[in-house]
Amino acid sequence: MPQLNNETKHLEAIVKSAPLEEIPTNVLVVGVGGQGVIMISKVLAALCQEQGFDVKQSEVHGMAKRGGSVFSHVRFGRQVFSPTIPKGDADILVALEWAEGLRWLPYLKPEKGIFIGDTQRIVPPFACRDRRRFAASGYVQESVDQVIRLVPNSSAMDAVAMARELGVPKAANTILLGALSTTLNFEEAAWKSVIARFVPPKTVDANLQAFDSGRAWIRNFDRQADSAMEAGTALDSGAWPMEQDQTWVEINTAWCKSCDICVKLCPERCLALDDQQLVQLIKPEACTGCRVCERLCPDFAINIHTPAFPELRP
Amino acid sequence: MIEESRQKFDIRNNLRTELFPHFMCPGCGHGIALRALLWAVHELEISKDQLAIVSGIGCSGRTGAYIDATTIHTTHGRPLAYATGLKLARPDLEVIVITGDGDCLAIGGNHLIHACRRNLNLTCLMLNNETYGMTGGQVSPTTRNERFTTTTPLGNYEPVFDACALASGAGASMVGREITMHVTALKDLIKEGISHQGFTFLEILSDCTEIYGRKNELGESAEMVLSQKAEYRSDSYGNQVEEPFQPRNIGTGVLTKNDRTEYMEACRLHNQSKQSGTANS
Amino acid sequence: MNMANSHENKIQNLQGNHACALGAIAAGCRFFAGYPITPSSEIAERMALELPKVEGTFIQMEDEIASMGAVVGASIGGVKAMTATSGPGFSLKQENLGYAAATEVPCVIINVMRGGPSTGMPTRPAQGDIMQARWGTHGDHPIIVLTPCSVREIYELTIHAFNLSESLRVPVLVLIDEVIGHLIETIDLSLTGTQALAERRWASGPPKDFKPYAMTEDGIPPMPRPGDGYRTHTTGLHHSESGFPTQNPAEVERFIKRILGKLELHRERIENFETLECEDAECLVVAYGITARAAKRAVKQARAEGIKAGLFRPVTLWPFPEEAFRALAAGAASVLVPEMNTGQLILEIERHCPDATRVVPLNRFDGEPIAPVQILKKIKEQVSHD
Repeated sequence: MPQLNNETKHLEAIVKSAPLEEIPTNVLVVGVGGQGVIMISKVLAALCQEQGFDVKQSEVHGMAKRGGSVFSHVRFGRQVFSPTIPKGDADILVALEWAEGLRWLPYLKPEKGIFIGDTQRIVPPFACRDRRRFAASGYVQESVDQVIRLVPNSSAMDAVAMARELGVPKAANTILLGALSTTLNFEEAAWKSVIARFVPPKTVDANLQAFDSGRAWIRNFDRQADSAMEAGTALDSGAWPMEQDQTWVEINTAWCKSCDICVKLCPERCLALDDQQLVQLIKPEACTGCRVCERLCPDFAINIHTPAFPELRP
Repeated sequence: MIEESRQKFDIRNNLRTELFPHFMCPGCGHGIALRALLWAVHELEISKDQLAIVSGIGCSGRTGAYIDATTIHTTHGRPLAYATGLKLARPDLEVIVITGDGDCLAIGGNHLIHACRRNLNLTCLMLNNETYGMTGGQVSPTTRNERFTTTTPLGNYEPVFDACALASGAGASMVGREITMHVTALKDLIKEGISHQGFTFLEILSDCTEIYGRKNELGESAEMVLSQKAEYRSDSYGNQVEEPFQPRNIGTGVLTKNDRTEYMEACRLHNQSKQSGTANS
Repeated sequence: MNMANSHENKIQNLQGNHACALGAIAAGCRFFAGYPITPSSEIAERMALELPKVEGTFIQMEDEIASMGAVVGASIGGVKAMTATSGPGFSLKQENLGYAAATEVPCVIINVMRGGPSTGMPTRPAQGDIMQARWGTHGDHPIIVLTPCSVREIYELTIHAFNLSESLRVPVLVLIDEVIGHLIETIDLSLTGTQALAERRWASGPPKDFKPYAMTEDGIPPMPRPGDGYRTHTTGLHHSESGFPTQNPAEVERFIKRILGKLELHRERIENFETLECEDAECLVVAYGITARAAKRAVKQARAEGIKAGLFRPVTLWPFPEEAFRALAAGAASVLVPEMNTGQLILEIERHCPDATRVVPLNRFDGEPIAPVQILKKIKEQVSHD
């Protein structure tokens, strides 16, 4: 559930009031490979240049591949020297992936920085140290709700879902661009003309639609925040439901012939033969429900039940 | 969707549980092959009533009896002949043949090549455990060289049949091979085979642990299953067989697939053309 | 010849083998699997022509074994099925014939006999498969063997064979000798009588309690049809009433007793024979197939000469109509058994004759049929002997 801190209405006012010409504005765009981080920063950089600013854009993406960490620094002002944004000096942080957003939060200006985050979670394989279903992973545990409370000027939106609803699932980045546009003092038409140049010709309309919906989302959210504040109620918690590992291993010893295949091939070593040479589950807590034992048992003596079908439980 | 049906698959729904535990030896690969077959049947949503399993004689032949379907345990080497009759008489049935290396390649070799040639819509699963397990472990057409059996006390010296090359050469419109350890891949292969219109020959490399494995000191059940992986090239989906008489160096997956007209369809089209020809003349 | 009109034209010159094919079609046979073999090939050829007209299936299989297997497979599927062969092919079919007997799958097998052993004389007649017909496949098994002696009888007995097979769930064999098989006779198919066709008794009732090999009163359990929800197991292993393999001595004994006993139970329906001048016969001739036609001529000639000869022609060869024969043989001083083999049915005849009766063979195994004059001469020898 997208969430906006009650204190962060009218995001655009903060930046627009700053003396853009004198001090460079720092925008940090982060995400993982394949999401369109570079597209956002390129559009922004091109726009700023068109508007007569000095622009510096530096990025890391070569090593990232699809799914790897990608970030892009965009700095613009009357004159910009350093290509990168120092820690704690970013005016705006746009995150296309939730964990990446949190990783870069320290770069945001304390109290003043604006955070626009997509709640999409892309969990890298190495974050899964435990093979059980729904097991806690190395991925960030902080919920949207918690983050929003920590960062005063923040908005978290599920841009991927919005894009999917629009029928253009790849345009999540343009939606975020729309959200970003509300924080900077450029004309809507100027944004759109740049976007139209940067996206594939066939997708111009779809991307402009996505851009509009990003802008609309921010405006709408500001209104919601207003009314919520007036009513004195908190918005819904944005926490992800953490499902419990409820795998149940059903062992039918009457069919077991002690061949030992399950015991030797279980990756978690959860099974053993008992003193009657029949299979038993010795470490239920370690079972990941991977079904290797079930599928390689020539005697069909093991059945794995998962929470999806609780009616199969005894 | 796939996830959902996977989770709902409980093999016991497709088994005649009253006959269990089954007769097969501990660690016998045929049980795993049976699971893959029933899993495929489950995912294809083939009704039990419309499923007919025709099997031959031997360990492979006995596996059919455990399936909750119409099961026909025929004579040695002949399941393909029975299945041909059954399928022609009842095209509405999904007829699957379970046979073994001896059953299919030795005593039933003639039926195999002609079933391949005809291309009737049957699915033939040949469970290859390289031996005649039920009779005590004699040499079979797929026993590899230097392996000991009760009839090759000094090791096998006869050339080995490459069943897939044989089926392919005889004209089967789909030929595939998989190891039992790759249960999921095997399930998918069987699914593809059943869905295929025409004769499908699938060689399933199974383990005879108690007789063949013991005699040749191939390790215990788990070791034999694991060793399958080391010996077969699983990444060669669609590969050509490189050395026909060295089946240890062979590919798995779909080896041959073409859209040659199915037997009954060919018969129908042919008769149609003849009838219209007569009308014109 | 326009085959399409052959059915409409009821009076026709028909070859024995063709009559067999037409009889099969009339009986409702809709599946034929065969393999070319002299002298039975015409049956397969005619079936290939006739079956498509009635939406039946003809298939020429890769060998004799496969054609028998396919026939059993088709019959399990619920279709009336038949195959045709000759001696060497019949030998090859034996294993699957035994399977049909053990699993009680109806099927009809035509054996147009040729000289043997081995390849023998493919184009010459013989009656050498009498014992193979009874005992060809291993183990005690039920089988019915019919022997026609004319083209018309081939037609009728083929229909009868299907009726017996379907209703009793037993393989039925029609033993034709090469002479009759290749004989062309004028027959009026409209006079062949309209035999009612017997249909298989299909399983009905709840599948849960269904036992495919139940001990029914008449010894014939209803048959489950695939697709009807019964999902039964068919196996050549000895099976219990449930259809699953058993080694329980009591169950095995019950099973064997039932499949053999059902022929005893229905013996009256199965047994069929023809008699000619048997009542006061001093010399009783027992003959079948083409030999019976020669014997008929010989008996008539003997009677014309004042010799009390009679003919007993078993139409059902197995199970042998022993009671009827015993009654007739009791009054005869001698029983003459002319056969185109070295003496096969005579072994069964000897079993049923009183000790006082002389049982005399008349054998020919040179590829020639036995002539009436040979039989007459033998009859005269017996009468003068007495």
